[in-house]
Amino acid sequence: MAAAGAEERQVLAQRLKAAVHYTVGCLCQEVEEDKDVQFSKQTIAAISEITFRQCEIFAKDLEMFARHAKRTTVTTEDVKLLARRSNSLLKYITQKSEELASSNMEQKEKKRKKSSAAKGERTPGEQEAAVTENEDSNMA
Amino acid sequence: MLKRVMQNQPQVSPLAPRISNHEDTQEAHSEVPSKRVSSMGELQLPDVAPQDTSITVFHMKKKRKKLSISEFERAADSRLPQYQAQSTLDSTIMARSLRLSVGSLLAPDTVEKRGLLRRPKTRRAVDMQEFEGRVEQNMLKNKAGQNDLMDSQSASGIRTSILTSDAEIMMNSTELFVQPQMDEDSQSKLPALEPQLSDSKTSAQRSLISDADQEEARLEGRVSSVSTNQGRTQSYSKSSNLDDEHVDRMTRVSPETPEKQGEEKLDHSQQSNPMAEISFTEEEAVCSAERGASTVHSEHLEKKLSEKAELQITAAQNSRGETEMAPSAGEELEEGSIGGHRSPRAEGEITRGIGAESVAGHSPAFSSFHKPEMTPLSETDEQEDELQDQAVMIHLDSTVEEPAEDEVEHPPSQEVSMKTPAFVRAPAQNLLSTPHVAKPAAPSSPLKLLKPKTVPKKLRTSEKKPREPQIPRSLIKEIFRHFAKMPVTRDAFQIVEKCSERYFKQLSNDLEAYTHHAGRKTVEAADLEVLMRRQGLVTDKMPMNVLIERFLPLEYRMLLIPVAVGGNKVIPCK
Repeated sequence: MAAAGAEERQVLAQRLKAAVHYTVGCLCQEVEEDKDVQFSKQTIAAISEITFRQCEIFAKDLEMFARHAKRTTVTTEDVKLLARRSNSLLKYITQKSEELASSNMEQKEKKRKKSSAAKGERTPGEQEAAVTENEDSNMA
Repeated sequence: MLKRVMQNQPQVSPLAPRISNHEDTQEAHSEVPSKRVSSMGELQLPDVAPQDTSITVFHMKKKRKKLSISEFERAADSRLPQYQAQSTLDSTIMARSLRLSVGSLLAPDTVEKRGLLRRPKTRRAVDMQEFEGRVEQNMLKNKAGQNDLMDSQSASGIRTSILTSDAEIMMNSTELFVQPQMDEDSQSKLPALEPQLSDSKTSAQRSLISDADQEEARLEGRVSSVSTNQGRTQSYSKSSNLDDEHVDRMTRVSPETPEKQGEEKLDHSQQSNPMAEISFTEEEAVCSAERGASTVHSEHLEKKLSEKAELQITAAQNSRGETEMAPSAGEELEEGSIGGHRSPRAEGEITRGIGAESVAGHSPAFSSFHKPEMTPLSETDEQEDELQDQAVMIHLDSTVEEPAEDEVEHPPSQEVSMKTPAFVRAPAQNLLSTPHVAKPAAPSSPLKLLKPKTVPKKLRTSEKKPREPQIPRSLIKEIFRHFAKMPVTRDAFQIVEKCSERYFKQLSNDLEAYTHHAGRKTVEAADLEVLMRRQGLVTDKMPMNVLIERFLPLEYRMLLIPVAVGGNKVIPCK
């Protein structure tokens, strides 16, 4: 049972790695077109491997930060603490978080106004888009 | 001996659950003695004794319920400072370890008795003082019976100390157990000794003042000799005297030095006096107790600067002691010369030890040694040494010569001991330079007066008033030089200094962020664990406690990791 679980996890991990590798390849292609440089396959593979491992470390650190604040949910505060190391990244993340906060406020106001109307379908979609934006900013 | 006791203690637990059934106690008795015999084939006397006593103990269980623990604690108290008559203690301890099992069940009831908890603390303090007094008496007896020759006195002192400490040699040669035992003692003594620290300090101050008058003339003469480099052996040989001093010494240089000294015991166990080790461990206990008083210690050091001359001068007077100490010191000197760059520091410490010895009256021999040693010492080292010497000698009225204590201290512990002296030296340097030149014999109050006089004058001319606290440059140099193992240029040192500054700034910023993240205003151990996790030092495979065990000295470890000791105690107290 445990071995099967471990195998499943490995398969999942491989799929995740493949997904990351593909995304990194796409991003590198965009940079190639922008800066007119070439990316070797080993470079892309190295970058994707690094990203994958760093994500693991991020996840552990985020969990540790959340536990340090005696919480069970990882919030944007934990993410900001994580990104403190590089100033530019921290600024970017704070900007995005402020935008998100403001958009959330707007959404809440809209919800109150349109709570009677059947527009609940739109708000989850907006929230998903906001979440993906946050993820992209973290990856960057 | 204590090793056996400690081995006994885990065996006590199987008895505990069986105590409820008297029928089973007989079985337990048979089991325990068999275990004891198997584990400790060395002890033959106690093997027989516990078998008898265990039975009696269990029969008398209810009556001796409350006495057993107090007796055990009394035995522990008497055992720790007094290393004599251990053979007699063996049997008693064995018997009491048995009773401990009885007591452990009853401990929850008896712990509520405040009287039991309070008693050991006061008793330990007395024991320490008694021991010191007894040691001093020994030395006084030796002095009285000897000739004018300091050599003979010192030699006899050493011999007597050796004889008395024969029993302790066994205990102290095993480094593994000396430290934890001492740490236990030191930790348990910490609360007891802390209130006494103030008393000891006041007494030290009084002694300082009394000594200051005598030392005026000597100090100046001694200052020149301080700079000698050679004759480190003298200090080593004199280190034995230091042992008593260390015991009395309440303002110890650093808590780490005892730790280092413990490590060095192994290195110098062959040459060092067993007495040195014993007093050393006592000193450790004392030093750990004094750890919190580092600030007071620095004050004492400043005050003692003037009195340092006393040590040096007395040493200068004696010349005979050299010859005798030389052969023994020669060996120590070789070992002491391991740390080349540390030699000035070591000498400082040596002079400290020598000074302490000279106070006791063994100075003639030592002084001659002392002089050649002091030549290469820099002024800062001198000052530091002076402070430390004064601290040492002030506390001891009669010093017992116990060679190799300095030796034990210096070569390996130089790195560690240098840290605290550097810290102490940094603030003290400014003060020391002026009083040292002006009036060496000035007691504490004149030094304090000089402080406000000189400081405002300098501040008016200087630019910044609140100067940022920096890590002393000498400390960074020492540490870097030790790890570089090759000569380093001054520019490199400056860059290293900048790097360390930035590192610590970043560190403090991170800690502040983590503390703020947790909604607190005080940095705590949890914040540091988060930091170390981020640094990659603490991982899932490497927990924090393992790092603590691996890198921190035992005193700090006792503070961080709670340890359960006998008598239903947990250190640190919660």
